[in-house]
Amino acid sequence: MMPGREFFTRRYETMGWNYKNVEPRQAIRVNLINTGKATDIVRRLLSLGIQLEKIPFLENGYWICKSKFSVGSTTEYLLGLYSIQEAAAQIPATLFAETEDKTVLDACAAPGGKTVQLADLMQNTGAIVALDVKRQRLVALSNQLERCCVKNAVVYLLDARNASRLNLGFDYALLDMPCSGNFTMDKNWFNRRTIEDVERNAALQREILTEAVKVVRDGGEIVYSTCSLEPEEDEFNIDWAVRNLGLSVEEVNCYGQEGLTEVFDKRLDNSIKNCRRIWPRQTQGFFVCKLRRSRTND
Amino acid sequence: MIETINNFVSRFETSISLDENSLLKKQNRLFLVDENLKRLASKDFFYAGTCLGKTEDGEFFPSFSLLRMIAERKANKVVVDEKTEWLFICGRDIFKQGVIRLQGSRRKGDYTLVLNRRRECLGFGKILFDLSGEREGAVISNIFDLGDFLRRER
Repeated sequence: MMPGREFFTRRYETMGWNYKNVEPRQAIRVNLINTGKATDIVRRLLSLGIQLEKIPFLENGYWICKSKFSVGSTTEYLLGLYSIQEAAAQIPATLFAETEDKTVLDACAAPGGKTVQLADLMQNTGAIVALDVKRQRLVALSNQLERCCVKNAVVYLLDARNASRLNLGFDYALLDMPCSGNFTMDKNWFNRRTIEDVERNAALQREILTEAVKVVRDGGEIVYSTCSLEPEEDEFNIDWAVRNLGLSVEEVNCYGQEGLTEVFDKRLDNSIKNCRRIWPRQTQGFFVCKLRRSRTND
Repeated sequence: MIETINNFVSRFETSISLDENSLLKKQNRLFLVDENLKRLASKDFFYAGTCLGKTEDGEFFPSFSLLRMIAERKANKVVVDEKTEWLFICGRDIFKQGVIRLQGSRRKGDYTLVLNRRRECLGFGKILFDLSGEREGAVISNIFDLGDFLRRER
């Protein structure tokens, strides 16, 4: 066993999860704004020989059970009737309260799966300001927006750490953070990653969180997510945000286990249990929580 | 800007109504935005609202959003069968036997939208031969199809 694997899997055991190599199931999300009813697209795909299974914890998510060809090359996909989106990754955008007519920051938006989902939930009302730091990724994002008939987004080539340069105020911010990822999506993950990478990413995430607090209105909502299993990028960062940014962790009703409040001998704020930690099984590993900006922050 | 779009749309023997104040230009691309988005789109934006298309070397290339807008109107259209739908999306021209229904112009040289049996817009092409006549082989050349979404990111 590689030292990296041993190091990380021991940490997972300490956190209460025994490492298992899993392959997340491929999933799609129906874009209701383009289809009207999810059952219509399910029937259409079935007629093409694509068998779907409803994901129990998602409104419009389906697992691909059987398909003779790539679900990313059908007419239905190209028409934007559905998006290919990993099941756990479909959770964050659903955690905001009312979304219609809101102004939403999608801080690390490319390649755009969650941006399209937000537009779908918002029914193309209000506005999404989508940022990403790499031009090439913005091209992919723009293509997704065009394919899925998104009409309410403005896209900027901008580092999320500089979001306040836009001089805009937001009702909500979606922070789907750049992170260390996890072994389910990268077979070489254990060989590639070190704890130093994790700490570097955690520091970047704290910078983005700090900037988000500057641009979200008093009482506004911030949804924070990573596909990292490492507590430095998850519970530790949220504990830091509660203590330093005046954010509170809201209760959410979604798939996943409670966030950890005691990790590696550290005692975290009790509200961290409102976070959701998803250990890999049918989905990839994931972490998500909803934060609220206090009304007294400046 | 509107003139460029109007000229393109007229090639389908139809018209659309656009308000100049709702258009934003970014380099060679045109976007349709509402008042709210216009307020949020400063000069540095990369993409906003609905992309209508782009100009290259003086020629206008439509987006799928614009083609969908044209498809909602009475315009030159052909409806194709399932096999032809798939071949068209793969970049192939259209044979006469794949055309189920025709609306508007049948004249050689005119543009026509290509729709599937559900009347969903798959792209557009140019009529190669008068569609009223009997003809073997390709009758509509593929100019732009949905498969471009896959090809453009390769």
